[in-house]
Amino acid sequence: MHDISLETLSNWSKLGHRTAIGETLFLLGKENSKVYVATADLTPTARLTHFLDAFPDRFFDVGIAEQNLIDFTAGMAKEGLLTFAVGLAAFIPMRCAEQMRINMGYMNLNVKAIGIEAGVRFGPLGNTHFAMDDIAVARTIPNMTVLAPSDPLSIYKAVYAAANHSGPVYIRLTGAPGFPILYPDDFEFVIGRAIEYKKGRDIAIISTGSVLAAAIGAADLLEAQGISVRVIDMHTIKPLDTAILDRVFAENRLILTVEEHSNIGGLGSAVAEYKAGIDQTPRQIICGLGDSFKKVGSYDFQMQASGLTAVELANVAMANLR
Amino acid sequence: MNQNEAIPFIQEKAAAMRRDCIEMGYSAGNHGAHFGPALSCIEVVASLFFGVMNHNPQVPSMANRDRFVLSKGHACLAYYAALVEAGYFAREVMYTFKHDNSYLSGHPICHPEYGLEVASGSLGNGFAVACGMAMAGKVKKESHNVYCILGDGECDEGLVWEAAMNAAKNELDNLIAVVDRNSFQLAGKTHEIMNLNLEAIWKAFGWDVQMVADGNDVQSVLTALNEMKNSKSGRPHVIIAKTLKGKGVSFMENNLAWHAAPLSKINYEQAVTELDAQQVGGQSNA
Ligand SMILES: Cc1ncc(C[n+]2csc(CCOP(=O)(O)OP(=O)(O)O)c2C)c(N)n1
Repeated sequence: MHDISLETLSNWSKLGHRTAIGETLFLLGKENSKVYVATADLTPTARLTHFLDAFPDRFFDVGIAEQNLIDFTAGMAKEGLLTFAVGLAAFIPMRCAEQMRINMGYMNLNVKAIGIEAGVRFGPLGNTHFAMDDIAVARTIPNMTVLAPSDPLSIYKAVYAAANHSGPVYIRLTGAPGFPILYPDDFEFVIGRAIEYKKGRDIAIISTGSVLAAAIGAADLLEAQGISVRVIDMHTIKPLDTAILDRVFAENRLILTVEEHSNIGGLGSAVAEYKAGIDQTPRQIICGLGDSFKKVGSYDFQMQASGLTAVELANVAMANLR
Repeated sequence: MNQNEAIPFIQEKAAAMRRDCIEMGYSAGNHGAHFGPALSCIEVVASLFFGVMNHNPQVPSMANRDRFVLSKGHACLAYYAALVEAGYFAREVMYTFKHDNSYLSGHPICHPEYGLEVASGSLGNGFAVACGMAMAGKVKKESHNVYCILGDGECDEGLVWEAAMNAAKNELDNLIAVVDRNSFQLAGKTHEIMNLNLEAIWKAFGWDVQMVADGNDVQSVLTALNEMKNSKSGRPHVIIAKTLKGKGVSFMENNLAWHAAPLSKINYEQAVTELDAQQVGGQSNA
């Protein structure tokens, strides 16, 4: 259950994932006085001003110091506080990977790290500001839960799920202002349980994050050609929903994994790692950002260049369906 | 050129660079640009490229060139403006800033043909790399200097201090850092986010420190840089230059909204009018 109106969701969709996360943290902070938020000089960027104004005693800016951000929030979590550490996904988790390994993973502390602007949305800012590797880094840390919600309501749900989960969580956020509403109605978001967004027999497109919109678009294009496509929103990359994968292996002929992330170490790798131990599984094509630094260019340019559009994904599916 | 001749020349370059920043930032359209961070350090960058550093746009990788690292990479407009004014690349290239496939990214890439030495923008890293470059200069017994510009907010990063202590330990007096003390960072005023006594801290880390009260005054900046450039004290040097974020465009000055933002046509025209008026007045307001 949630009390987010469709009007609010439209607003978050229009303004992008930063507004969705900032407002969600504000709502959570209002309900739960044990929620603390810390950031590294990103208060306006991550739309945390609302939280700061309402709960100044529960808000900390550690300065431009991402490693310290994680250790500081870990220390607070050690003493029983529910802490959210918010930063740019380009620097969280990469800049503070070891802090996350030891002080979130090893000590299993209740820190929720949130990386905004994951993927290549910062296209014109260049590769220093891309996060093409954050799933890989976070996923290899034992105990870490890794979430990548796809739309405004699922961001809200992911944050609440993370707050109710005891243990370290990394939430990666993607999607530009205007990212569409994919869940207009209430739905159940359970960590580790993927959502079958659409049923289908031939191909299974398994997607994570806001690129789900392109996956759905690809499915529509393929259906128009008489190909039946199942679409799965793998909002939790770790722990991976292997039960749904077992069904896919038994029922579909081709798998596309889709992610705004390096082809190495992300959702595609996670699926392939599980698949490797099982006989007679369908072929899997990993559709991601490849393994290269990118040229400068707009978000659309980046997604186009990596083939992460409905049309390109449908083409890849067609070319590989036998 | 002696210093008295150099000053008007640098002022002229600084004025042209400010104009270039506005042109480039405007041509980025809705992507916007980091105007405030670039405009605050124009006099420092202009003094380095047009008064202090030994470099040659015809031979960008000249072995004995002085090295330049813009550690606060988001201020790249100032860097690109210096490179275009010096002739490293054609003026048309400037208008590709942030466009698809451009070399002029929102943070510098490593592209030696254009005089772009080090990819920066992940704060703290450029400075630490500059320290390594200065160490290499010592090891190879080369005589050039390494110049590096940091933000005052950037000094929050632990890495800055790890690098600073290492530079002092290795007696890198061929390293000259400038902290662009514009007293703002991304989310607010620097003293509100992390109130650092930079002068005392850099001194405590074993650096030669010079305070420049007006880092937008070419004469003060040039004097400080020339003094440090020739000093072989056995200690690395840092100039803490007090500047104005957004300097030169009234609505951008000390206005956090212009840390990074798109420039509308109306704002563009106002900025250009103001900058042109400053130039006509015979002084770049430097
Ligand atoms: C490691 C890292 N963390 C965060 C950022 C995002 N960021 C870009 S500019 C900026 C503020 C920089 O402030 P300052 O160093 O004072 O430079 P100014 O813009 O004021 O000149 C921040 C936090 C970044 N680029 N790198």
